[in-house]
Amino acid sequence: MEILVPVWPAGSSHRPTKQRLRDVHGARIALVDDNLDIPFTTHLELLLVERHGAKVERLVKPSGTAPSPRDLIDDAATAQAAIVGIGL
Amino acid sequence: MNLVSESLSLDDYDEAVELFFERGWTDGLPVVLPTRRRVEAMIAHTGRDPQESLGPIPPKGGEATIEKLAINAVMGGCRPEHFPVVLAAMEAMMDPAHNLNGVSQTTHMCVSLIIVNGPIARELGFNSRDGVFGNGYRSNAAVGRAARLALWNLGGAVPWDTDKSTLSHPGEYAFCIAEEEEDNPWPPLHVERGRAPGSDAVTVFACEGPHSVFCYGTPEEMLHVLTDSMCSLGNNNMHVMGQTLVTLNPLNAEEFAKRGWSKDDVRHYLWEHARRPLSDVRACGVVHEQFRKMERDAGRYPLRYDLDNPTTRLPVTPTPEDIHIVVAGGRSYFAAVLPGWGGFGGFAVTRPILRPAR
Repeated sequence: MEILVPVWPAGSSHRPTKQRLRDVHGARIALVDDNLDIPFTTHLELLLVERHGAKVERLVKPSGTAPSPRDLIDDAATAQAAIVGIGL
Repeated sequence: MNLVSESLSLDDYDEAVELFFERGWTDGLPVVLPTRRRVEAMIAHTGRDPQESLGPIPPKGGEATIEKLAINAVMGGCRPEHFPVVLAAMEAMMDPAHNLNGVSQTTHMCVSLIIVNGPIARELGFNSRDGVFGNGYRSNAAVGRAARLALWNLGGAVPWDTDKSTLSHPGEYAFCIAEEEEDNPWPPLHVERGRAPGSDAVTVFACEGPHSVFCYGTPEEMLHVLTDSMCSLGNNNMHVMGQTLVTLNPLNAEEFAKRGWSKDDVRHYLWEHARRPLSDVRACGVVHEQFRKMERDAGRYPLRYDLDNPTTRLPVTPTPEDIHIVVAGGRSYFAAVLPGWGGFGGFAVTRPILRPAR
């Protein structure tokens, strides 16, 4: 009997990953969150800037439960690294 | 028929069934094998192009083509007559207002409930009466499971990967009911939501499993217990509002109607009285209070109450219209409340069921 497969073939075109940062000092880091826990994210930003010398760009998702808009993802991708906050 | 799916040639039935488990193509239960003949019959019944797509299914974005949905519908146990109901349910779930991406991945236990309305429900034998949320009826089970398998195989919403539900609930296998329209004094759900009387439609709403409500007596007595059940502090609704679903059985609805209560009267009463003082929410801790403030700061709802006054009584939904009421089940003493995900999404969406042209 001929059985049809219920899934699509796995994608073969993965984006090449960026080289892992060796040091955050002086690096531009995108910090993406949904404003659910502003004190936590602000504290993290402070640590990155003051203790580690990173340059942090805060990006805010309009919804904590839907994917980020394409523009925001593109903005984050221009940084050398991105930190994305999810959940609580 | 020109189908593009990869196919496998297998002679042994048991081997074929086991293969679906090995490849991760099923939800933990065996499936009806999607043979080419069965899939073609499913597609032929709709008269639609097999390569027409309803769009990518989140979170992983597999295209919901008629062909792939038909394969999953066969696996779920559907007959061709069920397929238009499955397609309407998938269209409704994929409406941005439902936020399927979030529903499929949240840590909350919500699952998209499918509610079938219209003559098609009776014609296909959907259960709307005793044991409506339970087992025993092919249409409820097969349509419900077909949709879940599509989310599994095309959306990639599986529990060891993208589905982060902390506890989930058994509706992950199949979660589909019909509304009782004959033994019901009120307009059915789909008519309230803009569809024509006598038309066929599906409404999806992401919610928890049914919470039993011992609901019997006068309207005031029934409302007393319903309002208490709706505003439990464990509900997401109590903290982030959104929408909620109340299922009344036909005897409950008859008792209300006999005493002059319309469905809208019941809805407004529930909204006015299913409330908790702000101090109760505050007692749950800072995280719970933060949710309410986040909603206020985001401006998602025009708040009709003072969030800084501890005596304020907080409603479970932003408006009365966010309380959905369905009549279903046996004529007895029990109703049910099915809390939603909250303001994050999973909101009710209604779509017509497109019957094939004759």
